[in-house]
Amino acid sequence: MAEIPNKFDVIVIGAGPAGSASAYYLATKGFKVLMLERGRSPGSKNVFGGRVYVAPLREIFSDFEKTAPIHRWVTRERMSFMYGNELVSLDYEGNDHKSFTTYLSQLVAWMALKAETAGVSIVNDITVTGLLKEGNKVIGIKSGNESVKADVVIDAEGVNRLVLESAGTVPPLKPSNVALGVKEVVKVNPEVLANEFGLGDGEGMAWSLMGDVTSGLPGGGFIYTNKDSVSIGLVMLLDNAISGANDEVYRYVERLKAHPKLNKYFKDSRIMEYSAHLIPEDVWSLRPPKLAYDGLLIAGDAAGFLLNLGYTYRGVDFAAYSGYLAGKAIEQAHELGGMSAINLAAYPKLLDQSFIMKNLKRFNGTNKLMHNRRLFTAYPAMMVSLMKRIYSLDYESQKIFNTVLASAKENGVGPFTLISDGIEVIRYL
Amino acid sequence: MSAAEQRLEDILNNDIWDVDPNPHITVDSEKCKNCNTKPCIRLCPAGCYTMSEKTLVFSYEGCVECGTCRVVCPLEAIHWEFPKSGRGIYFRFS
Amino acid sequence: MGLNIILLFKYVPNTNTVNVDPNTGTLVREGVPSVVNPHDLDAAELALELREKYGGKITAMIMAPPNAMKGIEFLMGMGVDEGVLITDRAYGGADTLATSYVLAAGIRTIEHYDLIITGQETLDSSTAHIGAQLASWLKLPYVYYVTEASLNDGTLIVKRQLESYTEKYRVKLPALITVLMHSHQPRPVTLENKLRAVIKKPIKMLTNNDLKLNIMCTGLRGSPTVVAKTEFIAKIPRKKEILKDKSPQETAAWLLSKLKEEGFLN
Ligand SMILES: Cc1cc2nc3c(=O)[nH]c(=O)nc-3n(C[C@H](O)[C@H](O)[C@H](O)COP(=O)(O)OP(=O)(O)OC[C@H]3O[C@@H](n4cnc5c(N)ncnc54)[C@H](O)[C@@H]3O)c2cc1C
Ligand SMILES: Cc1cc2nc3c(=O)[nH]c(=O)nc-3n(C[C@H](O)[C@H](O)[C@H](O)COP(=O)(O)OP(=O)(O)OC[C@H]3O[C@@H](n4cnc5c(N)ncnc54)[C@H](O)[C@@H]3O)c2cc1C
Ligand code: SF4
Ligand code: SF4
Repeated sequence: MAEIPNKFDVIVIGAGPAGSASAYYLATKGFKVLMLERGRSPGSKNVFGGRVYVAPLREIFSDFEKTAPIHRWVTRERMSFMYGNELVSLDYEGNDHKSFTTYLSQLVAWMALKAETAGVSIVNDITVTGLLKEGNKVIGIKSGNESVKADVVIDAEGVNRLVLESAGTVPPLKPSNVALGVKEVVKVNPEVLANEFGLGDGEGMAWSLMGDVTSGLPGGGFIYTNKDSVSIGLVMLLDNAISGANDEVYRYVERLKAHPKLNKYFKDSRIMEYSAHLIPEDVWSLRPPKLAYDGLLIAGDAAGFLLNLGYTYRGVDFAAYSGYLAGKAIEQAHELGGMSAINLAAYPKLLDQSFIMKNLKRFNGTNKLMHNRRLFTAYPAMMVSLMKRIYSLDYESQKIFNTVLASAKENGVGPFTLISDGIEVIRYL
Repeated sequence: MSAAEQRLEDILNNDIWDVDPNPHITVDSEKCKNCNTKPCIRLCPAGCYTMSEKTLVFSYEGCVECGTCRVVCPLEAIHWEFPKSGRGIYFRFS
Repeated sequence: MGLNIILLFKYVPNTNTVNVDPNTGTLVREGVPSVVNPHDLDAAELALELREKYGGKITAMIMAPPNAMKGIEFLMGMGVDEGVLITDRAYGGADTLATSYVLAAGIRTIEHYDLIITGQETLDSSTAHIGAQLASWLKLPYVYYVTEASLNDGTLIVKRQLESYTEKYRVKLPALITVLMHSHQPRPVTLENKLRAVIKKPIKMLTNNDLKLNIMCTGLRGSPTVVAKTEFIAKIPRKKEILKDKSPQETAAWLLSKLKEEGFLN
């Protein structure tokens, strides 16, 4: 094995949001940190939908808003139910700065640069292929037949956990664990964003689409407005897609763009980038048996820290914050005298006390909800026919209650199913 | 509606790769002969899996490294690694 | 003893996907990352093989803006020992003449070298001028399209690949060779090499304060080349059609009719 001149206090696997945040925090506390990234530069392998909640990032990076690549603050939220050529939308307009749109590639590059400036050694172009162990204790990482040692390793490799799988820490991914996200970033004239989306300077929209988007497969679509582009894509649960997707997945995105109610946004537009990535879906089954081992902590998507609210994902802030807490736990373990699993047990505790676990527990069940096909087929259709009955009339007005039942019946949903699904939705969201 | 749809090749043309001279994914197409559903063909977002006559043809160059094929293949026909030396897809706006 | 090798390389936009904006007809350059010119990786590989055989040291050298540091790091990841980055605002906008002029000066700052290795040409300009121009500035023997190199009693034996035959040369050192593209398969980056590059950063920067060149001979001012006009060739949409399960005769007849239809035959 090649001799490596250095040993580090901490090695971080992956320079994504989780890795970069943990590396940054530890470097500011004086730890000697090595962060390994398989991509040519941090950000070059990262994909997300388009919106990040800012509060956790502000806590980690005090000057976040001053220099981070924030495209637009989300001031408009829209949720649409699509059926055929029609759609029903719920619109919310606010003006608080709670979340913003960006490219994850840019945000990660920014976070990693913060880490590098704080003193982290970042080595790109290197894929970690395994954990270096001494008995049960993790003492470093392997890359092919090379290795580097460290007192503790933070695994922030994301959802494709090749390292943890090879170490036998987690089982291989199953289709039911994950969803597939496919996305296009499309260059859109800022005037279109102003006129068609009704957005002022620096204002952005987060738009989630349900119904016909994925041809009735559980999943949904999203649209986010960036500075001078729009991110549009969709997510489908992989186990349903295996049996249910009857077309190549890229075509679903193209069809969404061409939808009669959406295509006006994409006239004469140019695709800037096309991407795809897996998303933790059944986060509880993805959870590794433990989050802290002797010499090892697991953060971000690799630990299943992602909140699926049905209409939006929160993964970036969860990943970054879990990395930050991993950093804090290492700091505490250092004071206790070493990186044993017992000393590192602060990590799961900090997580439990944080918004991460509180939210994950509170929304435990959205996954089950997401598998309810009626949410993606019958109900959007029902919403559309309901609105049509109410608004698209020639002479006689309808009573809303009758209309609901009638459109439910029209879409094959009995009154009891309607009520029980309704209760389920209310319970989980 | 379909008139506005672009071909996958043209969509992918907007991406940037530094293609690894050695494939990071290899497929044992013998195993594919026994695969009835072939989910890789529909679910690979980069269209890397296609049928030519009766055999499955895989080309790794346009892979966006999502990992889907690795997860959906029912017969473990796919040997999947990340490209070496930082090669492969290079996202800038995702 | 060992060979002291200078490896010249360029850091170029990764244009393996040339993209033209359908609306404006101009090249899309937004956010295009740079890579080590792929043809220079052949040169790097040959340099590394020579060092493995004969010992010595490889210095990667480039004239470029500071972001090319990442390119030096990549080559060091493959095993190159150290780097020299020549960078100065006065060198910007150079054509091949002004580039080779500055590179020659950079090379002269290196006390002892035996061999200069360059790639055949670059991805973004493909002039293949630099090697020849440098050899003439430095008055060195020069062989291009090299596929193999070895040492024999202190002289360099190189194989040069031409279209239908190969030539073998014996060259006195110091010399300059340009490596045939696609002749070598570059080795992957290793962790140890990359760590050394990132942590030790054995990269020297040279500016015009060091080289003290007449700035009328560098950069845009020192470049006699004028690009008169650039034309983009419109992309021709492909009309893919697949004919399946037909006899050879039918297939040939079909192909013939298609070619006529398109006006290629009459
Ligand atoms: C389609 C889609 C839409 C989404 N939408 C949103 C959204 O709108 N808002 C939101 O907050 N979240 C969203 N998410 C979730 C979010 O992207 C993730 O939760 C988040 O990126 C996880 O961060 P991470 O650091 O854990 O992992 P990643 O971002 O996956 O980073 C892991 C890093 O590790 C590197 N790496 C992996 N393996 C190795 C290895 N073996 N050696 C070296 N390096 C390695 C990778 O190259 C990568 O840089 C979305 C995800 C998808 C796919
Ligand atoms: C007509 C024309 C006009 C140009 N005008 C401009 C301009 O206005 N502004 C501008 O910035 N550029 C301009 N260029 C580009 C620039 O002059 C050349 O790219 C550069 O001089 C090197 O030439 P090349 O890329 O053709 O290299 P080649 O001669 O094809 O390269 C051969 C080898 O030389 C080595 N090499 C090449 N460049 C370098 C370098 N910089 N450092 C170290 N080694 C190197 C590499 O090993 C390479 O494989 C112009 C090029 C042309 C042809
Ligand atoms: S899913 Fe697996 S076994 Fe089936 S065709 Fe694809 S690669 Fe072959
Ligand atoms: S990793 Fe994703 S893009 Fe690559 S071949 Fe597999 S499914 Fe296709």
